[in-house]
Amino acid sequence: MYFVQIIVNGILLGSVYALLGVGMTMIFGIVKLTNLAHGEFIVLGAYLATVLAPVLGVDPVVTLVITVPLMFLGGFLLQYFLIGRAMKKGNEPALLVTFGLSIILQDVMLMVFSADAQHIVASYSKSTVKLGSIEISVLHLVLFAISLISILSLTLFLRYTYIGRAIRATSDDSDAASLSGVNINKIYAVAMGIAMASAAVAGLCVGMKWTYYPSSGGSYLLIAFVVVVIGGMGSVPGTLAAGILFGLAQVIGGANYGLLISYVMLLIVLVVRPKGIFGK
Amino acid sequence: MAKKRLVKRNVRVLDSLPMLIVCIAVVAALYVACLTGLASNNAMRYMIQIFLYMTMGEMWNLLSGFTGMTSLGQQLYVGLAGYSVAVATTKLQLSLGIGLALGVAVSVVIALLLSLVLFRMQGMYFSIATWVVAEAFEKLFLSWKYVEQGSGMTIRVVPYPKISEICAASLTLCVVAVAVVYLLLRTRVGLGLTAMRDDITAASAVGVNIFAGKLLVYVIAAAFIAVAAGIFFVNKGIVYPESGFGIGWTVSMIFIVTIGGSGTVSGPIVGAAIYVFLQEFLAHYPGWSNIILGAITILVIFFLPKGIMGTLQEKLGFEIFSAKRFSFARHR
Repeated sequence: MYFVQIIVNGILLGSVYALLGVGMTMIFGIVKLTNLAHGEFIVLGAYLATVLAPVLGVDPVVTLVITVPLMFLGGFLLQYFLIGRAMKKGNEPALLVTFGLSIILQDVMLMVFSADAQHIVASYSKSTVKLGSIEISVLHLVLFAISLISILSLTLFLRYTYIGRAIRATSDDSDAASLSGVNINKIYAVAMGIAMASAAVAGLCVGMKWTYYPSSGGSYLLIAFVVVVIGGMGSVPGTLAAGILFGLAQVIGGANYGLLISYVMLLIVLVVRPKGIFGK
Repeated sequence: MAKKRLVKRNVRVLDSLPMLIVCIAVVAALYVACLTGLASNNAMRYMIQIFLYMTMGEMWNLLSGFTGMTSLGQQLYVGLAGYSVAVATTKLQLSLGIGLALGVAVSVVIALLLSLVLFRMQGMYFSIATWVVAEAFEKLFLSWKYVEQGSGMTIRVVPYPKISEICAASLTLCVVAVAVVYLLLRTRVGLGLTAMRDDITAASAVGVNIFAGKLLVYVIAAAFIAVAAGIFFVNKGIVYPESGFGIGWTVSMIFIVTIGGSGTVSGPIVGAAIYVFLQEFLAHYPGWSNIILGAITILVIFFLPKGIMGTLQEKLGFEIFSAKRFSFARHR
């Protein structure tokens, strides 16, 4: 039974890791950009939820109604006016702009929110439910639901809407998409908006699960990287699978060796299947 | 179009005899300043930092600017060197020289082993993998009992070198690093490296040995960064897993190379000097330093995409330490 408990915990934890990677995989797959600021976007999302929840007097999850559109807009403008322009100069300048953004955001958050540890508390943070002989925390179930709903709705959006089809077309061949009348710059901006909106959701989950600091962005970025590369860049279902794999490694390896196991796993995947498990 | 650009650009390559004499004079003056006590201790403190950052910047530039291997994991060799010096001098009571040599040896061996894995990847996969390896080593050192886990190791060097000696050693290292990069780029192998950066398939097709070129550059970068980092940690006196294997080292290297000019040998020299003074200046404004560094990086990318030296060289039509073996303008 202990074994089942570990598997369940790993899967629940893994769904949060998948959420960290989803925004990253969008940017990798569609905009073909390594976004070094994604970790800071996630931390920003966490702070927004932390600040808004007590002000509005609602459950932290409800703040998503405000943070998701806000972050979408932020991502759209950022890509349209800043990163997009840097991309015209080449790959490396764009990478360096996101790097500049990441260190700027980190210090701005440090100034505004101080270096103190933060944590988002919900009424059900400590409660658990029993299913047979295994015990599951309600918080983990809520996070699992949030991440599953986000990833599923994103997949459906990409598959069935006009913008979703345009995004996939751009990802496959931006020149051909542009010739068929797709406004590439706008599609990139929408993709960045979605990535940032997903960072708002991921930030909420991360903030509810762990304590975080303004400087936590780097470690989230690294997790996102690992998940994205194992899953295959640009593949949303791959991200989910990789996240769960990563979560299992964490739970099985424990605090000391969990991350080490995941990193070794990543290197093995890179050597054996460099495009990721679900990569094209 | 490409042909037109070659003719139009009126490049004078300044690496003839006068240039060599100027370089030797500057380096000699710096040595004299270090060793005779002409420079104050404070000035030498800055000089050491500048020389060490120059070495690291020059190496990152060799990797990224000239060879196209944008590594986000060079802090791996910083950490390995820091711990090698700590283990050699404090645990085993050996001399500092042996500590530095151990750092280089460990770095080179690890670099050789990692090349088998890392070189299978290109572009951003390579960047990410290098960073992940550095992080994995950080986690390893955090839980390794022999190196005191997370509490770090103090470095006690007996006898502790004088600051003028450290300064002279750093200067030597930096001169050797610049010379190695400059001379390497002008060899057949070096020309292959830039060809590889611009188009790896085409370079491979005309007979450039991709793996050998990459390996040479990666190992050279690891070795020089290890020496520079070793001297850094002697100065600092303590090494932690977070301070050794932190991404901050690569952040500095990227900043130095971007500001100075990626793909120019003189760029990191200027970039390192600016970086050290800027850091000192920004220390008066706690909290703002990364905001200003980040803003400068973004502004430089938009307005001086080739960095300070790259833009100056283009505008004024000269090149210092050019990697080119000939200049098109001389024929006109």
